[in-house]
Amino acid sequence: MNNFKMLRPENFKEYSIAQKTVSGSKLPFAGGTDALDLLKERILQPDYVVNLKRMADLRGIQEEKNHVRIGATTTIAELAGHPVIREKFPGLQQAAESIATPQIRNMGTVGGNLAQRPRCWYFRGETYHCLKKGGGMCYAYVGLNKYHAILGGGPCFIVHPSDLAPMLIALNATVHLLNAEGKRRKLALKDFFQLPAQNLFSETVLQEGEIITHVDVPIPQAGNKNLYIKFKERETADFALVSVALSLNMRGNTVKSGQVVLGGVAPVPWVVKEAESLLNGARLTEALAEKVAQAVVQRAQPLSQNKYKILLTQNIIKRAFRLITEA
Amino acid sequence: MSSWKPLDKMTILSHYYPRIEGPEKVSGIARYTYDLQLPGMLYGGILTSNVAAGKIVKVDTTRAKQVPGVRVVLTDIHPTGTIRFAGEEIAAVAATTPQALEEALRNISVEIEKNAFVVSTEDAMKPTAPRVFADRENVRKPRVREEGDVEDAFRKADVVVEAEFRTATQVHACLEVHGSVVHWEGDELIIYDSTQAVHGVRKDVASFLDISPRKVRTVCVHMGGGFGSKLRGGRYTAIAAKLAKAANAPVKLMLTRRQDFESVGNRPDSIQKIKIGATKDGRLIAMDAVSYGSGGISGGARVRLPHVYKIPNWRYVHHDVYTNAGPARPFRAPGSPQAAFSMDQLMDMVAEKLNMDPLELRLKNDPNPTRQKEWRLGAQKIGWQNRNRKPGSDAGPVKRGIGMAASVWMTGGRDTKAMLRIYPDGHVEVRCGTQDIGTGTRTYVASVTAEELGIPLKKVIPLIGDSDYPYSGASGGSTTAPSVAPAIKNTADKAREALTELISDKLGVDADEIQWKNNSIRVQNKTLSWEEACAFIEDEPIEVHGKWTEGLSSAGVAGVQFAQVAVDTETGQIQVERVVAVHDCGLILNRLTTESQINGGIIQGISYALLEERWMDPTTGTMVNANFQNYKIVGSRETPEIEVILYDEAERGVIGIGEPPTIPTAGAIANAVYNAIGVRLFTLPMTPDRVLEALSQQRS
Amino acid sequence: MAQRNKIEHEGVTRRDFLKGLGTGVLGSVVIPASPLVKSVKAASPDVEELAGTVSIQITVNGKVHKVSVEPRTTLLSVLREQLQVTGPKPVCDRGECGACTVLLNGKPVNACMVLAVDAENANIVTAEGLAEGGELTEVQQAFVEKDGLMCGFCTPGFVISATALIKEKGTKLTLADVKAGLAGNLCRCGTYPKVFEAVLTAARRIEEKGGGV
Ligand SMILES: Cc1cc2nc3c(=O)[nH]c(=O)nc-3n(C[C@@H](O)[C@@H](O)[C@H](O)COP(=O)(O)OP(=O)(O)OC[C@H]3O[C@@H](n4cnc5c(N)ncnc54)[C@H](O)[C@@H]3O)c2cc1C
Ligand code: SF4
Ligand code: FES
Ligand code: FES
Repeated sequence: MNNFKMLRPENFKEYSIAQKTVSGSKLPFAGGTDALDLLKERILQPDYVVNLKRMADLRGIQEEKNHVRIGATTTIAELAGHPVIREKFPGLQQAAESIATPQIRNMGTVGGNLAQRPRCWYFRGETYHCLKKGGGMCYAYVGLNKYHAILGGGPCFIVHPSDLAPMLIALNATVHLLNAEGKRRKLALKDFFQLPAQNLFSETVLQEGEIITHVDVPIPQAGNKNLYIKFKERETADFALVSVALSLNMRGNTVKSGQVVLGGVAPVPWVVKEAESLLNGARLTEALAEKVAQAVVQRAQPLSQNKYKILLTQNIIKRAFRLITEA
Repeated sequence: MSSWKPLDKMTILSHYYPRIEGPEKVSGIARYTYDLQLPGMLYGGILTSNVAAGKIVKVDTTRAKQVPGVRVVLTDIHPTGTIRFAGEEIAAVAATTPQALEEALRNISVEIEKNAFVVSTEDAMKPTAPRVFADRENVRKPRVREEGDVEDAFRKADVVVEAEFRTATQVHACLEVHGSVVHWEGDELIIYDSTQAVHGVRKDVASFLDISPRKVRTVCVHMGGGFGSKLRGGRYTAIAAKLAKAANAPVKLMLTRRQDFESVGNRPDSIQKIKIGATKDGRLIAMDAVSYGSGGISGGARVRLPHVYKIPNWRYVHHDVYTNAGPARPFRAPGSPQAAFSMDQLMDMVAEKLNMDPLELRLKNDPNPTRQKEWRLGAQKIGWQNRNRKPGSDAGPVKRGIGMAASVWMTGGRDTKAMLRIYPDGHVEVRCGTQDIGTGTRTYVASVTAEELGIPLKKVIPLIGDSDYPYSGASGGSTTAPSVAPAIKNTADKAREALTELISDKLGVDADEIQWKNNSIRVQNKTLSWEEACAFIEDEPIEVHGKWTEGLSSAGVAGVQFAQVAVDTETGQIQVERVVAVHDCGLILNRLTTESQINGGIIQGISYALLEERWMDPTTGTMVNANFQNYKIVGSRETPEIEVILYDEAERGVIGIGEPPTIPTAGAIANAVYNAIGVRLFTLPMTPDRVLEALSQQRS
Repeated sequence: MAQRNKIEHEGVTRRDFLKGLGTGVLGSVVIPASPLVKSVKAASPDVEELAGTVSIQITVNGKVHKVSVEPRTTLLSVLREQLQVTGPKPVCDRGECGACTVLLNGKPVNACMVLAVDAENANIVTAEGLAEGGELTEVQQAFVEKDGLMCGFCTPGFVISATALIKEKGTKLTLADVKAGLAGNLCRCGTYPKVFEAVLTAARRIEEKGGGV
């Protein structure tokens, strides 16, 4: 790690002051479980680490009238263990519990989970000066790409590593941001992420100095069912090979509306756009699941070593529908 | 020839008892090499190449030397200047803090004239491939072994099966990286090393440094895993010694995790093309096998074919292939898990063709009488009779299956010496220059002594892990227990004789009037306790020397394993649910730690079967997964229920059991997978992508 | 017992210093221990800034320590290199293996992925600090008895995770709970089956005694 300095604001005001008055590159830092990896590998060498942990405004889970507010520095373990989450968003709890290890979940935060950087083994290795790091080639494209994207890739083929993002998007979450000038904005979480074709260097729309303050998740209507299933190569602890977040608003056996979002297959949490029209008003059957699965993989463009993800994605989608039917 | 006392007379050996350093280890106070801090100690580190092939042109250390806290920078550490794999040493630094060390290493600029390289075994075999060594072809001269008349036997065979198997490069990935803390006292070098061979390190490092082994002492009290990768002295130790000499201060040099993955050993990959012929009644009569494999810039990729089954006519041609990757080192049963993976699958393929029970086929062709019994016992424990007789016939997406494979290991005991002192207060100190690599050696050094002298375990202080102690070999090849235990017994026997003699002197009675009962001594109608007997010793403790003797150990173990798996045909995930392992272990020194050894072998075998794979980037020639995130090893949830059956053969004396249990696991799992889904996997590791691929091929 | 010692607050925090001094120099809190020390100007009067070497207080196994660290120093490195608390082991240095697991304010975390300054005033417990009065805890005792260790390099981490698991989930544990609780700890020697046995045994004994972990 480079010998960075650290800023420790305690509230929004101090955060803006820090951003405005201190010059030099700055890296927001919450649980540090991802940032330290990047710092140790010298993928990042900021002048300052801006430690968000003391900002009380970023902490905690609150149940409001129509939504639940999840502060950015809420830990994954707190999220997984929270009674409201358990009750209203079983899928979110499943997503949280599927992440990493008990130790990492005690440190890693919700904001950090959404803003974490990709796990492409070339991106994470200091010696590979790939496209995403301003270099001239994508090593994965010509090299080892077993864990890479089958959808939405090019010119970089990362998959987005977050487990919370797909589920939160399926639940129509909104993300709230605070920028370096102290201005706030909010946007649908699905619009928070961007493809490499839009921006090669950042997986999110976060501007320099902008942070996530919290995420609002609307409380689902009656009849909502949601779930998250994650398939890992190593069950004990691993990132997703493929994961599916499913949220369906049901009336009896009929789907009123719903969302299917995939993890592990694309550079962003992959919102299955075709699902909307397929789901609305449809009966929850195996045939429906099959249609959704088909729609997804029709657009897949596998690389040399990840063709298996196509079949896997189909099967996991179908499994998710099967499980939600049984639930 | 000496012998062990009968099993029913044993009060410690052959029982379950915890290892004696347990309390230290569970409370975190056991100090490993990585934990040592000597006064004034510097942190040493090595700059290794991230280029796979080339010539070092220039190393500029100007900026590195300016980093505050840097004491020494060495640039003359590469023997030739020609780089053949990413991970070779270029320069070294010693500094006052780990941060300064890192900073300095980063500030060394290296100019390397790059050469073309090749990192995949298959690519290296192509005639157009860049040569790893300019003066040699990548594919080395074949090593051919042949018995009988292979062609004739194949003509006579009623069935022939043939397949190509592939296994991936596996890395030892010990939790404690390779490394040493070194310290010069005048011209004498003291090395604290994470090693499997204190004596071997002394010899190797002395030779690296061109000094007398007399001037080198190696100490290893606790070490965090070796599995064969720490059997020799490391170049890193010699580099640490040079840094320490130049800085005139102790140096700790532990490799980085990346370096540990890249440069200090692996189990080579293999491509095995094997054909087997059998008669209608299920006798194997012919094998024709060719294999290729790469130990990087070293050899050592041979597979132990033809494995355990009796085949009268066989030929095996092996080619080592050079690639620009780190050298192989022995890895728990070198060559054997690869052989069980291929041969035990071929056995099942033959059985299927003959419409014969795979168990029956094995019983027909396995010449080993112990394994004959083990096969039956294991089959009964796993419920072989209730298996899914038609592969792939389970309903639903998750399908279960059972499979089996065999193990053999041939090494036995060898030269080991020990020294024992009895103190007047009844304490016994035993010194032996062996080391405990997690196998329980320290504990049985004490327990063999206690058993032979008839005293409680806590009276014995076992001192091991120091090259100043009497010679013992490296802890490898499953030779440690059959080497050390007899030496300790021999020494303890001598100690008893010496004590008898002393008592006979003091009391003026004939030595043969002194009788040793279990834990007391009868003399002149009196019974002396151990303490009372030891009280005859005055100032100078009794000191005796003993050594390994014939008759207390033997070579050759047989084992079988059965695995039950559940294969999720939608995800390609294989879950090993249960393993039954039957291994003969001769006289079992400690049932508890022996069970642990067997568990450990099986778990590494599962890891090898399902997860482990070194990935070399074709563009840069570097390892992309030199970390525990992407070099995946078994964790808690991949651990199945394991039933270990220790098949006692005490009459054979002590036999090593470190390696045999890792041999059959992958083969047994592969057969179980076939039994579950009706599709065979010919490539290790059997990751979900490969399982899905195999399933889709079957469908189409 | 981990909570035994209340952390004493420093009379004046660095924060107060900074605020009081305006853009003043951090001098008085910078311990000139290593040659890397830079005296640093606080960039902003209102936001705490840490640079060069700073002094923090942490409680490790009941003992309060003042240590000098840089913002980049990890908790693992403070424990091992400065305090010689070497139960937590460095293995992956990336949060992947759990060998460095410690309790931070009662929760298991990877000490290699915690910055020391974030552990300021925290209560740290390592394997060395579990046993009270030199007596092994039930968890430790069961690890020894059941042989939940071989080379032992992963063991202090497992012991901490197991202790935390029983603290958090109680003593009625299933095998699946144990596997989940230990999912952040890797063992290359393959001690898992014996470790599971040890944890289940310890949980049962603690329940029988009705005592704490
Ligand atoms: C061994 C291991 C296994 C893992 N497994 C998984 C897994 O299975 N699934 C998964 O989803 N993740 C996994 N992770 C990633 C893990 O780091 C995240 O899950 C964690 O939530 C990140 O949170 P953090 O607070 O530690 O982030 P940090 O490391 O603090 O930050 C991560 C990134 O986000 C930025 N950031 C942090 N907070 C904010 C904010 N409020 N606003 C804007 N930017 C911010 C930082 O600048 C940094 O770039 C794993 C990590 C490790 C080390
Ligand atoms: S996938 Fe993206 S991050 Fe990975 S090598 Fe290609 S450009 Fe770099
Ligand atoms: S060393 Fe910290 S988790 Fe591996
Ligand atoms: S006991 Fe050796 S790594 Fe776990």
